[in-house]
Amino acid sequence: MIVDMDAASTISMFALLLIPIGIFIWLNLCLIRETIISALRMGIQLFLVGFYLKYIFQLNNGFINLAWVLLMMVAANMSVLGKSGLKRKIFFWRTLTGIAASTFIVSGWFILVAIRPDPFYDARYMVPIIGMILGNCQRSNVMSLERFYSGIRKNEQEFMTYLMLGATLSEAIRPYLRTALKATVNPSIATMATMGIVSLPGMMTGQILGGAMPMPAIKYQIGIMICIFTAMVIAALINILLSLPAAFDDHQRLKPDIFQ
Amino acid sequence: MIHFENITLSVQHQTLLEETSLQIHHGDKVVVRGPSGCGKSSLLKSIVGALPIIGKISVDGIVLRAQTVADIRSRIGFIGQEPVLGAEKVRDALLLPFTYKAHQNKQPADDLIFQTLERLHLRPEILDNESKRISGGEKQRIAIARALLLNKTIFIADEITSALDPESKQAVLDELFLPEFTVLSVSHDPDWVLACSRIIEIKDRKLTEVSK
Repeated sequence: MIVDMDAASTISMFALLLIPIGIFIWLNLCLIRETIISALRMGIQLFLVGFYLKYIFQLNNGFINLAWVLLMMVAANMSVLGKSGLKRKIFFWRTLTGIAASTFIVSGWFILVAIRPDPFYDARYMVPIIGMILGNCQRSNVMSLERFYSGIRKNEQEFMTYLMLGATLSEAIRPYLRTALKATVNPSIATMATMGIVSLPGMMTGQILGGAMPMPAIKYQIGIMICIFTAMVIAALINILLSLPAAFDDHQRLKPDIFQ
Repeated sequence: MIHFENITLSVQHQTLLEETSLQIHHGDKVVVRGPSGCGKSSLLKSIVGALPIIGKISVDGIVLRAQTVADIRSRIGFIGQEPVLGAEKVRDALLLPFTYKAHQNKQPADDLIFQTLERLHLRPEILDNESKRISGGEKQRIAIARALLLNKTIFIADEITSALDPESKQAVLDELFLPEFTVLSVSHDPDWVLACSRIIEIKDRKLTEVSK
């Protein structure tokens, strides 16, 4: 079993934040307030999640697990739309579909085909695995949407040229789709290539700290990395493709009112 | 050929043209003039549905709307002031339209490509260059060559001789000002204006014909 940290030890970790705060003061960086608020929010949110998860694990009911997972997806979706600069009202259902589809496909494969827990909806597997996939895909979901639409916005003349030359909307958007997907997956390709040498991954470290042997922990880590990477690509593609009908008018012009 | 009927054109909440009409006939060579910012380029863009308008635009009898915009675009060779080639290599840029479904299986033979380039005073070796390394004038002529290879007969040209030397400009005039071609353009170039058959001025948000 893992060595538990008492309340004083946990609070002592916050003392470490005095170092970056000191640096911010020295450099006259206006980040102190945000840092303190973010750290406090993180602490409160994680403690609340700890309480919820305790009951979710005890109940271990398939429907409650699914409801919790859907709630996580909605929160992830709100965050993705907020950061990508697109209007939530217009794109909410479209990006939620992309996020849900990608997460269910890869986590379904990981849980039902690779791990096969009994019952299959076991909260101890379902909640953390889907949570990790959602959390790690969040930045890539933001980046793919942001890169795609900013690419078209910045190169409007180029985009219109493709249409003038006879391209359909799906042909005209392809260069921007390629750029967005490349920017989305490149950091993950680099991370995968250096994993174990430059970085020790979180899931593996967590399992080892929890008392697992390194080999099973490594197998899970490989599984989750492939899940994250696949989910990133699926979500980026579905999000962009589903957003198109809402983002372009019937003359294939990018609507100006879709941005926040 | 190209009809504007009571069109109103606004860009960023500013009305540039208001309830004005114009008829361009087959074979006309039209130049639009007016002070900068009066809506000349916007007028050209509106024909291919790049800017929204109130009123009616038709090309070859086809009214511009959602269902017909692709058809209208396929009939027009649009050449901008700073043409976008859209591919890293000049050859790929020239052949880009032929990668689209609309022009698949219509790829021109090498001989036709070389002849078209030659008529526009371009060396065949330019095809192996990177698009970003060629001059503005060469870009303009590649964009014109691309439109010619697509067998267009209606050309919309926005200041396309701005970066050309006199010989290249004459070559472009010789290519585009054929009797079977219809040209609607914006230009400040006296030679281009002289070669046009009609001059239209934008004055008080109206399109007004000026006698040559």
